[in-house]
Amino acid sequence: MKKVILTTILLTLLALPALAKGNRLTCSGSTTVLPIAQATAEAFMNANPELDISIRGGGSGVGIAALMNGTVDIACSSRTMKAKEITQAKSKGLNPTPYAIALDGIAIVINSANPVKNLTLKQIRDIYTGKIKNWSEIGGNKAPIVVISRDVASGTFEVFNEKALAGAKVVSTAQLLASNNAIATTVGNTPGAIGYIGLGYLTSSIKSVSVEGISPNSASVKDGSYPLARKLFMYTNGKAAGAANRYIAFIQSAAGQKIVQEQGFITLN
Amino acid sequence: MAALLGMLILPGLMAAEEIKLSGEMWNRWTLEAGKAPGDSSDATLRNNFSLERGYIGLEAKFSETIKGRFTVDLFSSDLVKDGAGLKLKYAYVDFSNLIPLPDLTVTAGLQKVYFGTIYDWSYNLIGKAPSDEYKLANSADYGLTLNGFLPAGWGEYAFGVYNGEGYKNYGANLKDNIDPAFLANLRLMPLPGLTLGGSLMTNGSERRIKLADATANSSYNTQLLLDALLRAAFGPVDVWAEYMSKEVSFADAFSAKNYTATALSVVPCLKLNRLLGADIDLTGRYDRWDETGNPSNKNLLTAITGGVNYNFMHDDSANPAMQLQLNYTSKTYDEEKSAAAYANGLKDTGTLMLQFKWRFSNTIKA
Repeated sequence: MKKVILTTILLTLLALPALAKGNRLTCSGSTTVLPIAQATAEAFMNANPELDISIRGGGSGVGIAALMNGTVDIACSSRTMKAKEITQAKSKGLNPTPYAIALDGIAIVINSANPVKNLTLKQIRDIYTGKIKNWSEIGGNKAPIVVISRDVASGTFEVFNEKALAGAKVVSTAQLLASNNAIATTVGNTPGAIGYIGLGYLTSSIKSVSVEGISPNSASVKDGSYPLARKLFMYTNGKAAGAANRYIAFIQSAAGQKIVQEQGFITLN
Repeated sequence: MAALLGMLILPGLMAAEEIKLSGEMWNRWTLEAGKAPGDSSDATLRNNFSLERGYIGLEAKFSETIKGRFTVDLFSSDLVKDGAGLKLKYAYVDFSNLIPLPDLTVTAGLQKVYFGTIYDWSYNLIGKAPSDEYKLANSADYGLTLNGFLPAGWGEYAFGVYNGEGYKNYGANLKDNIDPAFLANLRLMPLPGLTLGGSLMTNGSERRIKLADATANSSYNTQLLLDALLRAAFGPVDVWAEYMSKEVSFADAFSAKNYTATALSVVPCLKLNRLLGADIDLTGRYDRWDETGNPSNKNLLTAITGGVNYNFMHDDSANPAMQLQLNYTSKTYDEEKSAAAYANGLKDTGTLMLQFKWRFSNTIKA
């Protein structure tokens, strides 16, 4: 009898944290995914008032590390996990599982007063590595180029670095900013500036240029012709279950994808 | 010394686009009691506070594919001369663009030794990794390695050539050693939570023929080091098991000194954060070090450790910035098989250690 009581107490103690977490969901990571996560969480909580979804930014790398440390249920990421991260996660007994929630293009943005309309990938690389320093070298006004980039925790930076810079070093004079919003604001306030942001952060005070002659829009991102197109992800440990599963399924549903579109991103289908 | 170090690294750092400054301090209290066979009671052997490690690191990112790391260990303890010391722990550069293979890095300089668990030993327990504890391999050495990750998280690998003498040894016998050490390491993760690994390293000590008088050197030996690793991490339970062997071969004329030593280490950890809501781990360790084949230092040691970790002040990624560790370790030598070791001054001991670790890091953008 004592064994039964002891076993019951032990099992109850083990189950308590899981029960306590049943109505709470924590997400952290990519600042690009942040507006999608916030807007969909708000809609999902309205429909499910018993749920409490907490959303934090920090960058894709921060979210993935938090998932590996077991402190969040969902890591938001604007890039796929690296082999090193997957290896570390698996060694800890975790099985990071990706769920695509939206498509995005990394928009190359300049001040709305800048007449430049198109850049090639080589020109973008040369601007970001400091070889091209003045807009007049690429058909613009005679004005120095102010290069603005993202910090290292940013998944957007990693994708941009891989697809546009091919791993080249960003010029040391570049301003490194911590969020899409900060880049959009700075480019809007700086006539000679160039930056890159998720499509959802485009505003009227900045303009996006086409890359290799292709504009970042729904069609070019979906068919993959836009050179800086990518998927946005949510990662869970193992197959999403419970509230996490319901929340991600909501984002992937027609209602969720409508919110994705409202936030300025591209739907999956 | 500081000025010299500054002169050496500053030019490199000036070229970096980003520099991460980090530190990790290990403040420890050690109370150790022990006795040799025949002693009637334990004697207190140690009772002291120390800064066992004081790592200060600079990581310079020159581009997305080239990064450098420089770490010194400033330690302070009444066990060392002048009560303090400084060791250069790491000074290397990672090139991930030299060989066009994904996730492959070429590392040059004073770096990690990818043998067994020594290169990613997380110090869940206060003690060193088994291969470090029993002097099979050094935690850092000068050399050149290719290290990388298999696709889709299937594992990792490393191949390297090192001096083979570590980063803190010195003396004429090291100067005489002209044979490099070669290393191969592979870890596979067939499924989440299960890691299988193996390492092989060849090394040598001293020079076959003495330079001074061209006679055979009785101390010259070659070593074959092997390591097999199993890690199972499921839910709150994480268990490492490691088996190592060290085969030491002397020149033919001195082959009577040949021997093989083995070590078995099992390190379980139970993470209680989900249960208690606080980041607390229960840790343990069982070691069996068998050096009974070594004529000059026969010993068979059993070491058992129990401990608890309390992690707090976490950063944004939930990594603990502060950790309090309490360990008790009992080391017992087999009396019959350890005569030589006892003669060398070893004693059965019980050691209580309380350690407070704290870390910081900050990234400075150029």
